[in-house]
Amino acid sequence: MKIDLISKVCSDFEGYEYLIQIFRSAESSRDKTITLIFTKNYWFEANLAAVLGAIVELLEAKGKKVHLYNIHPDVAKVLRKNRFLCDFGHLPLPDTYGTILSYQRFNPVDDDAFMDYIKSELLTKPDFPKHSPALGKKISQSIFELYENARTHGKCKQIHTCGQYYPNKAVPRLDVTIVDMGISIKKNVVDYLKKTLTGGDAIEWAVQYGNTTKTGTISGGLGLDIMFEFVKLNNGKVQIISSDGYWEFRRGETLRTNFRSTFPGTIVNIEFNLNDTTGYYLIEETPEDIRF
Amino acid sequence: MVEAKTILKVSEIIGGDTAVSTDDGQKIFDLLAVSIQGKQAIAADFSGIQIMTTAFLNAAIGQLYSQFTSEELNSYLNLVNINSEDRILFKKVVERAKQYFKDQKSFDNAVNQGLDG
Repeated sequence: MKIDLISKVCSDFEGYEYLIQIFRSAESSRDKTITLIFTKNYWFEANLAAVLGAIVELLEAKGKKVHLYNIHPDVAKVLRKNRFLCDFGHLPLPDTYGTILSYQRFNPVDDDAFMDYIKSELLTKPDFPKHSPALGKKISQSIFELYENARTHGKCKQIHTCGQYYPNKAVPRLDVTIVDMGISIKKNVVDYLKKTLTGGDAIEWAVQYGNTTKTGTISGGLGLDIMFEFVKLNNGKVQIISSDGYWEFRRGETLRTNFRSTFPGTIVNIEFNLNDTTGYYLIEETPEDIRF
Repeated sequence: MVEAKTILKVSEIIGGDTAVSTDDGQKIFDLLAVSIQGKQAIAADFSGIQIMTTAFLNAAIGQLYSQFTSEELNSYLNLVNINSEDRILFKKVVERAKQYFKDQKSFDNAVNQGLDG
């Protein structure tokens, strides 16, 4: 099966829907070989490498082989720098400006590997974040909360991540994407609440303080809330895609809607605003003593 | 609060300054639970910890409410050298754990009553 990619694939509702559509077409095809033809594509956002990597993993698990054909030099440059294309026989390009969080796959059982990745590819960058160590700490905390969320709730074989750091933009920012192809938020929430919900409504439920589908001896319901509260204050952006649900928070507005088809897992894409001088630890109530 | 004879250095147990995973939280929980179970006061020392998540704290500290009451924890567990900016996380985790285990008890009771009925 040959699939011609459209000219521009961005991290927005249409972009994600398009990638879901590619996955579903390839999955339902009888062909064992899937060729993604990039001839007309001149823009493929770097962070979407994590989504495409996850789709390739799923297709390969179904016995298919995925080839990428005729990639535009500008697209190839980005995807060689973040090393996504190395799995397809391309050589890596050096990360000259130190702005890449490379495309990586993690086994959820190995909790140290992701920590080492964030430490080596983000926290050691000389000007991350440019303005405030407190901001850097909050960003790292949010990323780790999300990763743990994917590990514990997704119950998947691999977690795909990548990111891009834009220190020299008018509003410097860091984009990070984490994809797990395990149990979707919708399935977890619907099974827990035992009622029918759309994907968008299930995500909306899951990001609220105190809401958790955990039932064991370890409580939950804080990780996504903490990330979301921070992104609000940071004036950043977050997109969550899970099953047929699309949920987005941007510039103070929440949007939730549904795709025509379903994504077999969860994508979280966060854009952190690095031009943020908020004194996070001053505006929060800091208790003097911890009482049980 | 009983004076703690044992000091558990969190960074040494988890092997670093980043307390973010549920697995590392579980290691801390296991050690704290044994001590509190034996009515031995223990101090958990968080010095040197740079980044912490609620995922870690839910497992390390919040989970203690599955076995112990607030009175027992206040008597036998002391948390020391917590960065002032991380204290809010502890507060959130403790409040959430109290609610979670209270709700779980109500949920279990409701289920048991349903089964008995």
